[in-house]
Amino acid sequence: MNSVCIIATLGSLNLDVQAEFNDEIIVISGENGAGKTTFLRCLAGLEDCQGEMHIKGDIWLDSAAKFVKPTEQRSIGFVWSDAVLLPWLDVQANIALGVNDADATWLLKVCEALEIDSLLKRKPIMLSTGEAQRVSLARAVYIKPALLLLDEPFSAQAPDIRLRLRKALKDLQQELNIPMFMVSHDAGDAKVLAKQHWRMREGKLIVEVQTKAQDKVINDE
Amino acid sequence: MIDSLIISLQLALTTTVLLLLIGLPLAYVLAFVSFRGRTVLEVFVALPLVLPPTVLGYYVLLMIAPDSWFGSAWDSVFDSSLAFSFSGMVLASLLYSLPFAVQPMQQAFRAVPTSWLELGQTRGMNVRQMLRYIILPASKSGVLVAAALSFAHTMGEFGVVLMVGGSIPGETKVASIALFEFVEMQQQTEAAQLALILLFVSFVMLSVVYSINRKPLVVSS
Repeated sequence: MNSVCIIATLGSLNLDVQAEFNDEIIVISGENGAGKTTFLRCLAGLEDCQGEMHIKGDIWLDSAAKFVKPTEQRSIGFVWSDAVLLPWLDVQANIALGVNDADATWLLKVCEALEIDSLLKRKPIMLSTGEAQRVSLARAVYIKPALLLLDEPFSAQAPDIRLRLRKALKDLQQELNIPMFMVSHDAGDAKVLAKQHWRMREGKLIVEVQTKAQDKVINDE
Repeated sequence: MIDSLIISLQLALTTTVLLLLIGLPLAYVLAFVSFRGRTVLEVFVALPLVLPPTVLGYYVLLMIAPDSWFGSAWDSVFDSSLAFSFSGMVLASLLYSLPFAVQPMQQAFRAVPTSWLELGQTRGMNVRQMLRYIILPASKSGVLVAAALSFAHTMGEFGVVLMVGGSIPGETKVASIALFEFVEMQQQTEAAQLALILLFVSFVMLSVVYSINRKPLVVSS
């Protein structure tokens, strides 16, 4: 079981989230400014926050003991809401960025699943927005992280490929056997992918919808 | 005349190479690290832009005098005096051209998108890897501008090299000083030739700088 208990203040946002989760897919939705992206960034260690985080049996944050594991040591696959590809590297080099011992079989498997295996030698400038987004997803998955954090990873995908990508992503997550947070405004993502569906409002977790289960209020105003 | 040009070129080349090595960590610190005394460091780096070269030359002379601690330490290690030597001129040029190396790199480093730096963090990169795989490739044009400006500015030195080098023919007499002496001795032909060569070198270096700056930050092949 993984658990997070985070308090952070950023500008006008007061983030206050407590939750426990298995190595499962959690879809987060909510209005703009509700703190979804900030929550992902806190998990990644990219924003300062207080509290505790236990991920895959490892302590990432323990404010009581003044311990913060830096982002570099957290083993995270992060997908930003824009692709963030390095323009001077081709697709393959972008995916393998920072990895010393390349795993060609795994790389090909991930790229085939996300339908970018024919693009490996292309420069990012030659990619469509949707393709670039899938490359950034492949890059996050490729390192076999302890935690996947995806900020609207399908926002630029056409409806038909989106359906295939959901299945592909679910398969990859199950193979890695890790928790995965996915910010999405698409009800379909939550329905098909999520074991838990969270809603956030004004920095708080309002309802946690167990898919195919009754709603459970865990943190009301 | 050829002698003085060769000395100028050697001085400019040596200074440029050393300045890139010294300027890189300085630019990194000024671009990314906040610490007490940052402003003071920034001012020190920028000082040669406004100081009369003779003031800089005066202090360098004091510093490298055989009875100063630095001068005597150098003397005992290398068994030669810095004053009126090529090495002394290199030292003075390093200080004199420092802002021309540091400032373009610092600006280029600061222009690297935050998300690219965060990407490096999520890939477990340390500072050295971050520089190698993200910051330097993204700042290629800034580094080239720094090199071109350092070279051109060192070629154009007069006051500093005159005070520190002392215009010893074949040793420390650089082209700009040789030109001055040709004019003094009314050797018009030589003066005209040398002036034209120096004008040409400066023109070429500045053309390089402006053509680099015209291109977008990242040039993809």
